[in-house]
Amino acid sequence: MKLKFFDANVYIGQPTIPKGKPIKNANELIKEMDKYIIEKSLVWHIAQRDVSPEEGNELLNKEISDKKRLFGCWTILPPQTEEVIRQNFFEQMKKNRIYALRIFPKSHNFILDKIVFKDFFIQLIEKNIPVIIDTQQISYESIYTLLKDFPDLECILCDIGIWSVNRYIWPLLEKFQGIFIETSLLALEDGGIEETVKRFGSDRIIFGTGLPERYPEASIVSLLHADISDEDKEKIAYKNMEKIILQVKL
Amino acid sequence: MRLKEEFYQNGKFSDCPIYDLHGHMGSFYGAHFPRNSPEQMVKIMEKFGVKLLVFCHHFTLFSPDIGNSVNIESVKKFPDKFRAYCGINPHYPENIKKDLEDFEQNKDIFVGFKFLADYHRVPITDERYKPAWEFADKKNLLVLMHTWGGSPSDGPQQVRKCAEKYKNVKILMGHSCHGEWDKAIKLSQDFPNVYLDLCAVPDEERGIIEKFVMEAGSEKIIFGTDFPWFNYAYYIGTVLGAEISEEDRKNIFFKNAQRLLKKI
Repeated sequence: MKLKFFDANVYIGQPTIPKGKPIKNANELIKEMDKYIIEKSLVWHIAQRDVSPEEGNELLNKEISDKKRLFGCWTILPPQTEEVIRQNFFEQMKKNRIYALRIFPKSHNFILDKIVFKDFFIQLIEKNIPVIIDTQQISYESIYTLLKDFPDLECILCDIGIWSVNRYIWPLLEKFQGIFIETSLLALEDGGIEETVKRFGSDRIIFGTGLPERYPEASIVSLLHADISDEDKEKIAYKNMEKIILQVKL
Repeated sequence: MRLKEEFYQNGKFSDCPIYDLHGHMGSFYGAHFPRNSPEQMVKIMEKFGVKLLVFCHHFTLFSPDIGNSVNIESVKKFPDKFRAYCGINPHYPENIKKDLEDFEQNKDIFVGFKFLADYHRVPITDERYKPAWEFADKKNLLVLMHTWGGSPSDGPQQVRKCAEKYKNVKILMGHSCHGEWDKAIKLSQDFPNVYLDLCAVPDEERGIIEKFVMEAGSEKIIFGTDFPWFNYAYYIGTVLGAEISEEDRKNIFFKNAQRLLKKI
């Protein structure tokens, strides 16, 4: 079968210390997407993590402004410092076609907790804006606490590590309907996609390549040849992410 | 049809068998593997055209009470699909003596040894491995070692010492001294009997397979997956995604393994 893909886990820009084969800008990303027949991507800029969230968000805005196949993902910091979250934040998101937010508590030295984010996360829940969590940046204990405090928050867990994390993730999928798992490392686990679909359905898995750090073919062929129905594959490859984007209220 | 197109279309190759020289079996304390029995594993191997898996059972590696018996039983169940590494736990010298006797009596089961020095916390250069090293050297066997960058037990320096000493052993650097890629490549260049292994490598960094092929040569790379840890489709996808030749891919998928196993 032929699938169309919506990539939820890709960044552009040149990292301070290169890893993989960097994709310098949005034009290069579009070329990569065409190579792999990826129709749309939710993209962030590496400077958001490694340089400055504020500056990185701006770099992203410029890169994607004329690229309709690219949907933006900003990085946030604690609202109290007003470095990123200021007045008109959501208007600016809408203006720049930003549909999701990333957090890097480890790199940016803050605590992901209701003390910091309570009022802001309540707004994210009202607006159906997903938060993308790189699990290398936050412990599972903290993710559990976050979801206990904000059970309706939509979270996409990405880069879930190379060891099977079923023991961490399956309880979250069972308890919280707003939790989604991205495939660039879920697909690495033998049975990662199949066993998750069997227990929790295909609505909870989002396709991602991990570009530019991972080989996109790995995630693509793992989904193409997973022992699940074609309908499940279509949801994971494209429809689930499309649905999340369409439900964002800005 | 090119390998990439064929795999995209059919999920396996018609003329390119897969030999996986780095596998395991059974459950494991540190992670959940939903499909870890010999029967489940064979079914998945057949789906993706994996002709042979050489493995060492988790129970062998972590339970001296069970030892290599479970390897022997599993290969006997599916002799066309599996071969085993005789697992060595250096903390139990009396068991090693028995392991070597078992090896002699089960030459159709074992193709070499597996050392897991980082986990057992005994360097691969330690005297306690000596009987197994000498046995392997005498019989031109494979030794699959877990190797990891920066490790005092099985890092590049320790591998070098062993490679200098045991020139007849085919040393498979499991995980290719993970993270210290340049040192692993250098070892494979310096010693004709030292090989790089892809297990836990291409998921780490796009472009690493191309680097291995360019600097070490595809003849020095073996296909390993830690199966049932990792997914065959994912690893095959990384090799298909790498910008290397079809011949390089075939070397990695089966030709190198066939050559290594033939010499035993």
